[in-house]
Amino acid sequence: MASRPVPIRPGRFLPRDPRVDAPYRLTPQLMFRLGILGFLVLAAFGVLFVRLWSLQVLSGNEFLVAAQDNLSFLETKEALRGPVKDRNGRVLVDNASATAIKVTPAFLPKRGQYAELRRLTRILQVPLSDVTDQIEKHGDDRLAKVIVKEVATESEVRFLAEHRTEFPGMTIEDTSVRRYPHGDLAAHILGYVAEISDRQLEQLNGYKLGDRIGQAGVEASFDKELRGIPGIELVRRDSLGQPKARPETKQLPVPGYGLRLTLDAKLQRAAQQAVIDGINRAQADEKWYAKAGAVVALDPRDGAIRAVASYPTFDPKVFTSRRKGALDFLTNSDVAEASDFPALNRALAGRYPPGSTFKPVTALAAMQEHILSPYDSLPCTGSYTVAKQTFKNWDPGVNQMMTLPTALAQSCDTYFYQVGKEFYDLPPDRGQPLQKWARTFGFGRPTGVDVGPETSGLLPTIKWKQATFTKKTDPCCFEVDRLWKPGDSIQLAIGQNDMLASPLQMARFYALLANGGKLVQPHLVSAIEQGGGSTTGPAQGSLVLRSYRPAAQELNLDPAAIDVIRQGLYEATHSPLGTSSGVFGHFPVPIAGKTGTAEKVIDPGDGMRTEDTAWWCGWGPYESPELVVCAVIENGGFGGEVAAPAALQVFEQYFGKQASSFEVKQAD
Amino acid sequence: MVDYAVTEQIGTRPRARARETSYLRNLDWVLLAAVGGIVAYGLWVISGITKDDITGDPNYYVVRQAAYALIGVAGMAGMTLIDPSFWRKHYRVVYGVLIFMLVLTPVLGTSVRNTRRWIDLGPFRFQPSEFGKLLLVLFLAAFLAERGKRIYERQTTTAAIGLAAVPMLLVFLQPDFGTAIVYAAIVGAALFIAGTRWSQVSVLLGLGVAIAAFVLWIGPAIGVHVLKDYQRDRIVGFTNPSKDPGGATWNINQSITAVGAGGVDGRGSSGATQTNYNFLPEHATDFVFASTAEQRGFLGVTILLLLFLLVIWRALKVVTLARDAFAAIAAGAIAFALLTQIFINVGMTIGMAPITGIPLPFVSVGGSSMVANLLAIGVLQSICVRRR
Repeated sequence: MASRPVPIRPGRFLPRDPRVDAPYRLTPQLMFRLGILGFLVLAAFGVLFVRLWSLQVLSGNEFLVAAQDNLSFLETKEALRGPVKDRNGRVLVDNASATAIKVTPAFLPKRGQYAELRRLTRILQVPLSDVTDQIEKHGDDRLAKVIVKEVATESEVRFLAEHRTEFPGMTIEDTSVRRYPHGDLAAHILGYVAEISDRQLEQLNGYKLGDRIGQAGVEASFDKELRGIPGIELVRRDSLGQPKARPETKQLPVPGYGLRLTLDAKLQRAAQQAVIDGINRAQADEKWYAKAGAVVALDPRDGAIRAVASYPTFDPKVFTSRRKGALDFLTNSDVAEASDFPALNRALAGRYPPGSTFKPVTALAAMQEHILSPYDSLPCTGSYTVAKQTFKNWDPGVNQMMTLPTALAQSCDTYFYQVGKEFYDLPPDRGQPLQKWARTFGFGRPTGVDVGPETSGLLPTIKWKQATFTKKTDPCCFEVDRLWKPGDSIQLAIGQNDMLASPLQMARFYALLANGGKLVQPHLVSAIEQGGGSTTGPAQGSLVLRSYRPAAQELNLDPAAIDVIRQGLYEATHSPLGTSSGVFGHFPVPIAGKTGTAEKVIDPGDGMRTEDTAWWCGWGPYESPELVVCAVIENGGFGGEVAAPAALQVFEQYFGKQASSFEVKQAD
Repeated sequence: MVDYAVTEQIGTRPRARARETSYLRNLDWVLLAAVGGIVAYGLWVISGITKDDITGDPNYYVVRQAAYALIGVAGMAGMTLIDPSFWRKHYRVVYGVLIFMLVLTPVLGTSVRNTRRWIDLGPFRFQPSEFGKLLLVLFLAAFLAERGKRIYERQTTTAAIGLAAVPMLLVFLQPDFGTAIVYAAIVGAALFIAGTRWSQVSVLLGLGVAIAAFVLWIGPAIGVHVLKDYQRDRIVGFTNPSKDPGGATWNINQSITAVGAGGVDGRGSSGATQTNYNFLPEHATDFVFASTAEQRGFLGVTILLLLFLLVIWRALKVVTLARDAFAAIAAGAIAFALLTQIFINVGMTIGMAPITGIPLPFVSVGGSSMVANLLAIGVLQSICVRRR
């Protein structure tokens, strides 16, 4: 090896060796290194050969079995969902057999799968994008089937069965879908079943991609009980993804449990009709914005809900069809708004100013706080002025002294303004007793009903005002708006201004008046049952696995105070000047209850205007209450005019008796 | 170890003889036959593997692949005609083109599954990193040959590694982890053949192990993620395939099943369910060996591997015939690059190497790989015909 240093010109990048053209010698050192390389090559190939020998020759058969098993799939077979029945065993939801068309993404041809899907979706008349979205959603899980159409018609099935080979990856499967024999009856409560969403997949345990699960109502709240245990089948498939032989059952599906609801199908139907009639009555009265309403009927003894109506409603059948646009009222907010949010269960989740139906709350709280003596008379006048602010009575012509029962019967606003002012004038160390009692009676918090969703409503307090009106939300006037002013207490006393409640919260409070001071737990499911199948008619041989009888909470209220209010509400429906005596006065069963006409600012699209939410809440029979009914007609006008007759219809159905005559009255 | 002959006498005689001898006689016919055999075998295998991939056109991939092979053969002939010294003289240009191509890739590249490795050229997709392998070989060989006298110096090794690190990093960032490994193998082989000191070789080996350990285990543990999660999962996955059969290691389990199911004589092109029902991902490209093993069995892959062994053996033989240091280093690096690609590709299908997107030379469907590898064989032939 020559050791003469090679001159390198400084400053030049990567200088060239001047003698590079000289031929080279194959040195022993290079041969040694080549030898090492050669050894590496032999070692590498040797290792590969040994591994291949062990895989293919020694354990080839095991892998052959594994490869064949790849073609046999363990598929889950959904169990039959349990039926849902009303309290008398009438079936509200059961199952119908159907034929579903599905595709397995893994078996779709690599090229031309869109052409195939386009053709398939055209034949089945479903949107192509729905299917491609689903496939996209399944991502890498290419063996999970995607439903193209859940309920295919007989002719579609026949056509596809004949042309099976033209649709590699498509399968025709027997399945079952939910059947709703009564159409839109209790649609909001029953809810619906649909394929699990990405978010649910993340949040819930025990479900897998492609599972159908309850999405709303009892189907969602009691999905675990209703769904049963899926069976497992071993299915062998050919290269088109078609099952080759009868599937081998590895585990039989266990049908889901049935649910027994507290609802009464007939009363429910009457309640739904009552809402519609109430709306029509309001429309006839030129209340053009009356388009929605709700009725709740519950048993004041145990909180069992007998009927929950909310209008507008929908037919749950739309969830099993993939008709284009059928579900827009759920997914598209514009469509939902244009059709007045049919998916919203107004009875549980609607927030309304309670208006005069709240007066008994104020009265009861005032008596519990000893700031109101029920038989002392207070003036009932056309208006009430405090701190230069004037609050009007609904009836401007009145001017007399009233006791509490009369004030309730005639719904005197000014009487309750004075009670509200009493609450305002209490020393600060007494806190806000009106709100405290309202909260105790169930306002401003969820009722805990077993089938949601429900609203907490809104119970305005000093704290709430401070949190709501901040520099951010109300830059100009938050410093004034956040203060609790006399008007806040005065308006709260008649359930106006910020106060909001759901019909269910209201019904629960009237149940408390009816049962003498127990706060019941409203509930819709009375039992979980096994067996009984999907038979229609009264349940036979079904076994009750678990029944729900949520205990009522005894509030230990002053019985005398409750009696005064009960008396006032009886006079409201029976004394000549009572706000709904024209409606209930001639009904054979004694009914007691209160009207409400709550002002609410709405914006129907052509500017702000004030409309009245019509309320009626009450119970019957007066002495031994069996049913509490609360009816609300949105923008319906006077409670005595539209809400009270709606409630009467429910009582008529319940007691099986008609009012001999009735007349409505424009009364709050 | 390369040395320069100092005397005129030894130097001129072989060169004179080479000029007299006809090119044709000096071609390595065995190498040519072996490569031809692999290409033909590959086309046959591909035709069986891809017959169901495109509905209505069972020959789609074979026809395209054959066209690429023809282009590659023409390129190979061209490369044979070019004197290796041409590359040595213009090695700066070679390096410039290499860097230019790789910088252009992410700019113009088409994104496929979140990687940018391809540039769209009308009906073809051009993968610069494949051609980059050959360019890197030519550049490194020239660079090291020109500094032959200073090969023992640490600066030479550092400079070579530093210059090669640029294309390596560019490829790594595409991200194409597998090809970056091949580039690293090329650097190692070139330095090794050029005669880098053993002490430096061992330091480099140690460094390689340390980097691998950092990237795969230490880095993630302290929150430094050099690899994308999927890359790391696959690499760690191959060490423990049954850890998560549904996730990262699904591919490798399906691949091993395919290979094993092939048995001694294979399941044939229609009975190979792993391939035909798409349990085997990328069965015409990255996992083509597994498909071959499933369809043609142990006998079939033995033929293929023996042909590969023959090619590498002939390439190493070309090193001994090389007339100068440049040619020797280039031939050695090409041989080792082929070995690396074959070992990693075959190894990953049978659970012995991490899953990376390295094509199997001459077999995997893909024009760039086919043409680039044939060009490399052309360089070997060019060195061979201008032997000592």
